[in-house]
Amino acid sequence: MTIPGLHLTQIGGGDFLLEPTKNLNVRDLSRLVESITARLMQARASRLYYDLSGLALIDPLYYGWLDTLARAAKTINVKMICINMQPTAAFALSKFITKMPVFETALNI
Amino acid sequence: MAIKKGPSEKLAALFGLKIGNIATALEEPGQKFFCNNNRLMDHDEVADLSNEFQILIASLLGSKEPGNNTSPEFQALEMFFTNLSRNILMRGGNVEEVVRYTQHLQLTLIDALEKTSGIPFSQSRSVLLYFTNIFNELIMSVFHVYLEERERTLEAQQAELRETATPITEIWDGVLTLPIIGTLDSNRTMLVMEALLNRIAKDHAKAVVMDLTGVKSIDSQVSHHLVQMVHAVQLMGSDAIVTGIRPEIARALVSLNIDLANITTRASMSDGLKEAFLRMGITVTNK
Repeated sequence: MTIPGLHLTQIGGGDFLLEPTKNLNVRDLSRLVESITARLMQARASRLYYDLSGLALIDPLYYGWLDTLARAAKTINVKMICINMQPTAAFALSKFITKMPVFETALNI
Repeated sequence: MAIKKGPSEKLAALFGLKIGNIATALEEPGQKFFCNNNRLMDHDEVADLSNEFQILIASLLGSKEPGNNTSPEFQALEMFFTNLSRNILMRGGNVEEVVRYTQHLQLTLIDALEKTSGIPFSQSRSVLLYFTNIFNELIMSVFHVYLEERERTLEAQQAELRETATPITEIWDGVLTLPIIGTLDSNRTMLVMEALLNRIAKDHAKAVVMDLTGVKSIDSQVSHHLVQMVHAVQLMGSDAIVTGIRPEIARALVSLNIDLANITTRASMSDGLKEAFLRMGITVTNK
């Protein structure tokens, strides 16, 4: 089962790695969230690593997508951790958020 | 500033003059201002200077429009003064010396022209006016160079200050320290943040200790910037520890309703470092 715009790979145990591609359409939010959570539930995942290394900038729209995904993951007891956030993206994101996001962040896996 | 083509015979005579052999006479102002105790130039250089000036002024006076200060001849003369003042300033000279030299050169030039041609130019208002106009423009160009030079020095100093004011040091493997000294404004926060985030990405730093001991005062905008900076560090996946908040700053933060709930704070830099080590599982013990 492939989800358009991203690669979702099981990297061992209950850990999943999500790598978005350039074709990811974050406007198609609800359908994406549904497919991803379905896949995570099926595999009884416990952690979802979201790789942000290819993303130079995070705008409010993209943040909205990350936030929704993280909250959806939480409902099925999956912790979302964003990894490899670029300095420019962190800078842009810190400009418009007022409190820390729902998801966790880490330098790398 | 075009010179009126009036009926002044002397001005016409001036423009028709064949100029030569006045370079030696023109050396006097150079000797006076650049060769005395300040030793900005040697005698040969002054001689070269006078020769060049003689050629340039002769070509200006002999040109089609001697009063037009956009003509190539005038621009060449202006360039000559620009280079001269640049040289003098570079050698540690004063702008005053160049201005005095220029003024003195005007008088010397009229004198020398009078002597070689036998026409009493200093009696003619139009000739004096013409030279005054020309030399005023030249003095302006000297000042332009001076101001440019000053501006460059100021910029260099500011850049130097910016670099030295926020040293980011890796004090332990994966632990960065950032002592913030002085005032934080938007511009500086931006620069510091950029440097810090890039450094975190490069060094894979796990923790950042931001020390505010050197920050004397804080306002709402600055505290906002600070919170932003902490958020950005946390978003990168590092731990941010803020240390050294002075009592007056603590009071200000409370009265500004700044929420430090998710931000780790410690009293001093050493406490901050201990906390960072603790989180990374490093133990430092006395032997």
